[in-house]
Amino acid sequence: MNISPDEAAQALKEIEASRSLMRSAIRSYRGHLYLWLWGCIWVAMSSLNWAYGQGALTYTNWLSGGGLAATLLITVAQGRQIRCRTDGRFLGVCATLLAFGYLVWPVLLGDLHSYDFRSYKAAFAYFSVLWMQIYMVGGIWFDNYWFWIGLVSTALIVAVLLLVPALFWASTLLIGFVLLGTGFYVRYCWR
Amino acid sequence: MNDLDPVIHQPARLKIMSALCQLGERARVDFTFLKDNLGLTDGNLGAHLATLETSRYIAVEKEFVARRPKTFVAATPEGRHAFSSHVAALQSILLPK
Repeated sequence: MNISPDEAAQALKEIEASRSLMRSAIRSYRGHLYLWLWGCIWVAMSSLNWAYGQGALTYTNWLSGGGLAATLLITVAQGRQIRCRTDGRFLGVCATLLAFGYLVWPVLLGDLHSYDFRSYKAAFAYFSVLWMQIYMVGGIWFDNYWFWIGLVSTALIVAVLLLVPALFWASTLLIGFVLLGTGFYVRYCWR
Repeated sequence: MNDLDPVIHQPARLKIMSALCQLGERARVDFTFLKDNLGLTDGNLGAHLATLETSRYIAVEKEFVARRPKTFVAATPEGRHAFSSHVAALQSILLPK
């Protein structure tokens, strides 16, 4: 098949136009809704914990549960137009991490209720870092920005808890704003 | 030098493949979403998808979503490879000899 340079240039223009059209159409599916949702939840959880300390535990649990339900709803709603094949291996790794983090380590090997976390902050940090491992595994698995969100958040949570615990809730508040900001970047600036 | 692929080179199919290859490797897109974004009619898109499917450049899957049948389309690894070879062939035509 032979075509002239003009026809080739025209075809390449059409390819670029189609790519650009699709890029803007799929921009709504790049995960910014999850980032905004969890950014708001982190901001709310951190503010409540900062204000009420351990008294905010119930609200924290409700916010996390509501966040998981909303995450599922977003996934179902967006899956009507663009959906990804379920990756059983990835879900298996996540389930293993969560089972270890919530069951094997604190309940079977230790005791969730009597285990001597040094403080409520340390317990909050433990479960936050556990979920950040999911971000990191997801980022490595799918080769995307989740890895960096997980890594930076984990490093910040652990460093502040160990070095300047007085600023702990300020650091988790910062993570909330980082998630919100990343959501805006992904939605409006990322090409 | 790469050869141009006559299956992909047809303008509508070129648009379809460019759009599908823009998605992640595990992603599939709804027929209606694709039709609306590419500005093609049902019949036109269906016919071109059939041609691409015959060449194994795309995979078409039908599913029920909220009790309604839906068609999802994705570029296959073979299709992605053929598309990038086609783009490389187009670019090589423009290179000074």
